[in-house]
Parts: sequence; structure tokens; C-alpha cells
Amino acid sequence: MDSTTIKAPPEVTVSTKRERQSIPVYAYATVISSISIMIGLVWDISWHTSIGRDGLLSPPHLAIYFGGILAGVFSGIRILKVSFWGNEPDKSKSLKFWGIFYGSLGALFCIWGAFAMLTSAPFDDWWHNTYGLDVTILSPPHTVLLLGMVTIQFGAMVSVLAVNNRARQREDYSQKKTANVLFAISSGFLICMIFTILSEFFGRHDMHKASFYQVASIAFPLLLVAFSRSAPSKWGATQAAFVYTLFMAVMVWILPLFPAEPLLGPVLNPITHYQAFAFPLLLIFPAIAIDLINQRTHGKNNWIKSLFFSFAFILVFFVVQYPFGDFLMSDFARNWFFGTESWYFGSNPDWEYRYSYADYMETKGLDLLIGLLIATGLGFLSSRVGLRWGKWMNNIKR
Amino acid sequence: MKKSLLYISLFLILILLPSHIGSPGVTLEGAAGPYNLTVVVNSPDVIPGTASVDIYTTDRGIDSISVKPMYWYAGTKGTPKSDPALPVDGEPGHYKAEVWLMSSGTAGISVNVTGREGKGEILVPVMAVSTAKKEMEASLGWTLAGLGLFLVILMTTIISLSMKDSQRDPGEKPDKKTRRKRWIGALIGMVVLILLLWGGNNWWKSWAKNYSRYMYKPYTATTEIKSSNGIQKLVFNIDSTKLESLYLTRSLNYLVPDHGKIMHMFLLRENKLDVFAHLHPTRLDSSTFETIIPPLPPGNYYVFTDVSRLSGFSETIADTVTIGEASPQLVNSWNDSLLMDVDDTYYITDPYIEDAEKEILPGGDIVICGSPGERTRLPDGSWVTLELPEEKVFRSGQLYDLTIVVDDPDGNPAELEPYLGMMGHAVVFKSDGSVYIHLHPVGSYSTASQQTMLSRFQGESGMVDWDNLPDPVIFMDSVDNYITYLNKLSDEKREEILLADMDHDYDADDPEHEGHSSVSFPYTFPTSGNYRIYVQMKRKGKILNGAFDVVVEE
Repeated sequence: MDSTTIKAPPEVTVSTKRERQSIPVYAYATVISSISIMIGLVWDISWHTSIGRDGLLSPPHLAIYFGGILAGVFSGIRILKVSFWGNEPDKSKSLKFWGIFYGSLGALFCIWGAFAMLTSAPFDDWWHNTYGLDVTILSPPHTVLLLGMVTIQFGAMVSVLAVNNRARQREDYSQKKTANVLFAISSGFLICMIFTILSEFFGRHDMHKASFYQVASIAFPLLLVAFSRSAPSKWGATQAAFVYTLFMAVMVWILPLFPAEPLLGPVLNPITHYQAFAFPLLLIFPAIAIDLINQRTHGKNNWIKSLFFSFAFILVFFVVQYPFGDFLMSDFARNWFFGTESWYFGSNPDWEYRYSYADYMETKGLDLLIGLLIATGLGFLSSRVGLRWGKWMNNIKR
Repeated sequence: MKKSLLYISLFLILILLPSHIGSPGVTLEGAAGPYNLTVVVNSPDVIPGTASVDIYTTDRGIDSISVKPMYWYAGTKGTPKSDPALPVDGEPGHYKAEVWLMSSGTAGISVNVTGREGKGEILVPVMAVSTAKKEMEASLGWTLAGLGLFLVILMTTIISLSMKDSQRDPGEKPDKKTRRKRWIGALIGMVVLILLLWGGNNWWKSWAKNYSRYMYKPYTATTEIKSSNGIQKLVFNIDSTKLESLYLTRSLNYLVPDHGKIMHMFLLRENKLDVFAHLHPTRLDSSTFETIIPPLPPGNYYVFTDVSRLSGFSETIADTVTIGEASPQLVNSWNDSLLMDVDDTYYITDPYIEDAEKEILPGGDIVICGSPGERTRLPDGSWVTLELPEEKVFRSGQLYDLTIVVDDPDGNPAELEPYLGMMGHAVVFKSDGSVYIHLHPVGSYSTASQQTMLSRFQGESGMVDWDNLPDPVIFMDSVDNYITYLNKLSDEKREEILLADMDHDYDADDPEHEGHSSVSFPYTFPTSGNYRIYVQMKRKGKILNGAFDVVVEE
């Protein structure tokens, strides 16, 4: 079923061991681009809920483009350099494609992402002219853009891993710490991205719905298990969730400090400052559980492991997030820290369910139980894929 | 056959816009406090989108002009801050701005002027609805297809290399298994990408379908002619069952009078464009309207009706009708006093296409169709001229003040009187049926829309209380009662009330007033071609009708 042949590790000579493998510049560049894209994206969402009107060259868009260009250019240069001016050791660490090019997998992902982002621009422009200006996160051209951004973030992660995996093989641990920090950042930002893409399911008003836990079970065990399995450290899931939590929270704290005024009518909620995007989900708790399970189930069957992961994820996540939903609706959350006063300028601020759950927003009783069981099933499959994906990432060397 | 052709011409050629057909811009000529302005708003054809606003003025001492969109349903509180209208280089007195219209519905573009004389504001009503269904240009299509293909090939390569190659140790050569996995990877990649593209394509299609569903669709109507007891009635029935959005905004339950009438109906004989009637049907129920029509010459007729609502949403509902040969009995017993509404009028003029057929309308006027720059005789002996622009030729896309000058039978400037609260009315019709618009000296916007929006913004500032709108039956009753009351008044009294509603500065004794021997209608011909302009004025208590054929060049 899932058999692998373990190859004998290549003979490691003292000289190669000493040959210090530093993390290439382009790997740093891709990680920075991942951060830039994410800052731009969350800022852009806040921009749309606070100001509304934007142009092609709005500051958040520039942050996103900068990320795309940075990753694309650095990866492109890297590929051209290795292909045409590279030495044998460089080429031996790369993948040959289309007969003449040599590039790492991470660089290829970044280039694909940059081109996808580039493609989305004229497509999106046409889309606005045809179906109206932006009013939604998920539209076909935005999906092309998001796919591009996710791929760049993925490329950043893979680039760091390839370097680390090669070093590990040579038992060279000099760069492990740096590699781990870079991996924590790039994997954490990937969680931020997936959360943002799926944010229409993850609102404060959705936290008592079965669908909330089902969507979360599809998305997060996949990522957390894979990170736990492939990170240079044994706390891969926890550190990624920590980066996600910190970043999303910092955006909640910082953005509302700046003035913003709606420039589009109708304005039903006149505001004076940026409206925060969303307080992070409490993913850090199931992430700790996943790391602990991963540390304690070495050698166990992957399907059984997946079952553990899934149960643990749903149990821990539900236990913390469901009551946290109530907390976010309460007076205690209406402050700068949790930012639940943030409200889209075009929505009626006097809406009766602004700070409470309407009946239709909650799944109750048996339905909830069944919903959570379905979520566990989904989480099981997601964990299993995560394990396989993590194993693959753990073996990337080019 | 003719009927179906007429329908096809109506529904295929017409670029349908809510308040008129085929003329995308809204023009307003009016005073923002002490400043006289002409404002042209070109609404976006896709909502959300941006409207372009052009403001023209000859007044001096203006410091700044700003514009903002105000939505009927959101109220003044829901209005964002204004945007500046910036002076256009090299065109003194021309200012330009862009306004974002984010929601469908009735919006007003508020133009605010600040200057030496103080501040002034004027509101241009705009119907914000999506009317366009766009296709992708070939060049963009090919560019995107090229980029898409590149992305597919690159991703297939990536997936293919991901399988095994990426896991090779540095320097390790690919073996047979690696090569096989490459192909498997490429295949998997291809399948996944094709599925993704297929899913994306379906998503796009559903998006387009949804957009089409909520696009503005004009109401359809059926028109019937019924003869009985020596009179001929036209029954206009609007199909209000297919509304997909803007249920309250476009509800027929909340019609309000425009120029004192619940509905303005124009009948134009197809092809020849020689018979014109401006009628004001009475409401039987929320969607059925009825009027008595004179024994018009037989033929296929375009029926255009203009209505406005409490929400300020005004639109044209179009249909066609075939009017048969009237029986001699009907013709003989006809008398203009049989018309249902005091302001109903009709006439016959030269056919647009020369025809030997001569028709005599009992009672109705016969007028000679004029050409711009030439004097044409009106039935009461007075003369009317449509002034030619300086260039001597009309061009499409250019803003004109279509000026009608009326002289009395002795050749002296005539003294015109208000008709339906305005010094004149004009209907512009393009010979191919693609343009229909009802104009006033103040522009092409609906004055009823402007009135309802102004009263709404003055009265309350918050959102419309949807749940507490007046009961439709009571609302309709009170509107009908008001119209009946107006119709019972003397012409003078009625016009006085209507003029007050229109906020028009009519004062015959005012020495600064330029007199009322001429009327001008600000208008931009949207396309080149042959147009017929029907004009209506009133002199000595009699409605005067005229017609002009205008050739508009590119």
C-alpha cells in the first residue's frame, strides 16, 4: 500500500560534511515575498471593508505585486544562472526541464505563481468591466491570483526544505535553526493564506455551525500534519500555527490604528479607521495536539495515525473554538485586542445579530453531532493526505 | 409578419436603458444655487462601476465643484464624502469627475458648487443598473489563452518532476523508475489541470448566468385595442411577474405622477413615423392602464410608456400594437373632447418615408415636418424653426442645446405657455427604432425621480424602512385621487402647481427672463443616423405639435 524502499544514504565524506551549505539568497527572497503578499492581502481586505474604492496601484496591491515580482525575479534569475552559468554541483542539485533549464522545485513553483499572478491582472480587469467591480474574495480571476500567491508561498517553503533536507542528509546541522525559522514563517503564512481564502466560512457568526468544523477539517489537518511531519523541528505544526496566530493578531492590532474613510456609497456604517480583518482561529491548540501525536506515534500505521490526528483535531478545536465564538460575541471581545467591533462600512451596524447568533447560524443537537462526525471523517482523509504530503516534503532535495 | 418584425426590431436593436432607450447619458440643465450648470452623467453599463460626470458652466467665480452618489434606499447618511470635479485643461467651464456606483437602484449624483456667490447643489437622478453583456476582445482572449497554456505546461512539468526527480539525491542520475514516474506525474498533472480548468469554466458560466439573471430587464407589456360604443380603447398590460431583483425599487405599486400623470404614453407609427400621439392612460389596477385613442390611421405602432416610482426609479416600458382601419362610424362620431385626459394630444405629419397615402385625421392636426434651420408652419398659423448648430451639421456624441424658436403668424416672437409643467416637450426617435427619448428643457432626466429623491433626502437621513412603506392599495388610491384632482383644475391652476413642482423659474414678468418664444433641449445624439424629433409646446391655450427630421453625422 504505502511501501517505500529506504535507500542507503550516500557516503558522506569529511570534506563534503565540512562544505557548509548556506541557505541561498533566493530562498530568503521567496520567504520575504510570502510575507509581503500576506501583508498586502490582509491589508487589501481591510481596505475593501473600510475604504472600498481602490485602484490597480493601491498600497496593498503594491505589497502583493512586490511579493510576486520578488519571488518571480529571484527564482527566474536563479534558474537562468544555474542553467547557463551554473557549475556541476549547482546543476546536480537542480531539476533539468525542457531540455536546457535547471531549476529547483521551489523556484519552479515561484515562477509559476508569479506568472499566474501576472495572468490574473488583465483577466481581473476584464472581469470588473464585465461583471462589475470587486465585491467578493472568491471570483475566477481572484482565484487565479490566489493560486499564484499560494504557489509562491508553497515554493518558498519547498525551497527552504530542500536545502535543509540536503544538509540533514550530510548531517550538517549548522543551518538547521535558520532553516527552521524560515520554514516556520513560510508554513505559517501558508496557513494565513488558506484561512483567508476560506474566510467566508470562518467568520465569527459561523463558529457554531457544523460547516465551520467541516471546512476546517478539510483544510487544516492537511497543513498541520504535513508541517508536523516535514519541519526541521519537531514542533512543525505548533510553530506554523503560532506564526499564523501572531500575524493575524498583529494585523488586528495595527490596522485600526490608521485612519480610513469609506469612499463608496452607500455607507451604512460610517467609520473613521481601518476595520480589522479577523482575529485568528485558535488553531494553535489542535496544532500542539497534532505535534504531540506525531512525536508519539513513530512507526505506527499511517491510517491509524490519521485517525488520531483527525479525532484530536476536531475534539480540541471544537472544545476551544465553539465557546470562543460565544466569547467573541460578548462585550469582552469588543476591544482593540480582539477587534470584533470591526464592521464593513456597507453593512447595517444596527443589525440585530451583529453580536449574537441567529437561529439559522447555529447547528444544534443531533445535527451538530452528525456534522462533527462528518468533519472527523473529512479530517481523517485530510490527515492521511497530509502525512503523505509531509513525507514527500521531507524528501525533497532539489 | 410586420408585427413580429416590429418586435424583433424593438428587442434586438434597442440598447435598453431604464428611463429611455438608446441614449446612455443623462443630461441636466439647471441651477445649483446661484450657478447655472449643464451636467452630463454617463452611467456605467455594469454595476458596480464608475459613472463619468461632465459639468459645463459659463458662470465665473467658481472655486470648486464636487460630486457624490446618493442612494435612495440608503439616505443621506449613507453617502460617502464628495469627490472633486476637476477642470478640464483647455476647456474653460468644463469640469470632469468619476463617481462610483456600487449598488443597483436609484441613485442621485449630487453636484455641489462653491464660489464667489456662495454654495449651490443640484441632484441628477441616475438609474444604476447593469445593462451590458460583454464579450472578451479577441486580443485579450488570445493573450490569456497563451498565458494559460504556458501555466498548464509549466505546472504539468512541475508535477511530473515532483514525483520522483525532486527526491533524488544531488548528483543521482534518474533511473528507469524515475522516468516512468515522470510520465505518470505528467499524466496526473494533466488530468488535474483539465479538471481544474473544466471546473473553472463551469464556475465562470454560472457566474455569467447569475449576472444575466440580475441584469436590468425591461418590463414587457401587451397592448390591445378594443372598440365599443363608438369609442376605441387601448389597454396596456404590464407583466410584472418576471422581476428578479429591485422588487420594491421597481414595484408597480408605488408609481408616482410625473408632470401630473401616472403614465406618459407615446404612439408612433412604424416606418413612416408620421403619426404621433402623446396620451396619459388611466390606471385600472397596478399593472393595467387604459386610454381612449382617436381613430388613428391603420398600421403598426410603437408604444412607449414612461413611469416613475416612489423610489425615484423611472423607466420606459415598450411594446407594439397594430391599429386596424377605423370604421366610418367611429371616424364620424369622433370628437377630441372624447380623449380621456385633458393633456392628451396627437397629430399626423409627413411620412418619414415618402408615401402617396394621404390620411385625414378627424380633429387631429396635420403638420409639415421641418428640417433644421428652416421655418415650418404650425397648424395655428405660427412658425417654428429648429436652429442649426454653428457647424451647420449635427454630430453624434456632442452635447447640443436643441433650440426651437416659435414665431406668431405675423413673424413676431410668440409667447409660449407651459405645457405639463414645462415650456416644451420633445421626443427624439431614431428611424431604425434604436433610440427613443422624452426630453425637457431641463434635460433628459426624469423630473419625478429628482423630486422623489429630493424629498426623501430632505425628509429623513437613514435607510429606507422597507417594512413600513405605505400600504400599496392606499398609496395607489391617494395617487389616483391626486391626479383626478389635478385634472379637474383649470389649465392655469394645474400648470401653476406642476411648475412649482418642477422648480422652474417661469415668470413672464421678469425682465431678465429671456422670454418664452424659444425652448431648448440639451441632448447628445448617441449615434449617427436619421432622427425624427417631435416637439410639443403650448400657445394661446392650444397644444402645438411640430416635427423635424435631423440627419446626424459621425
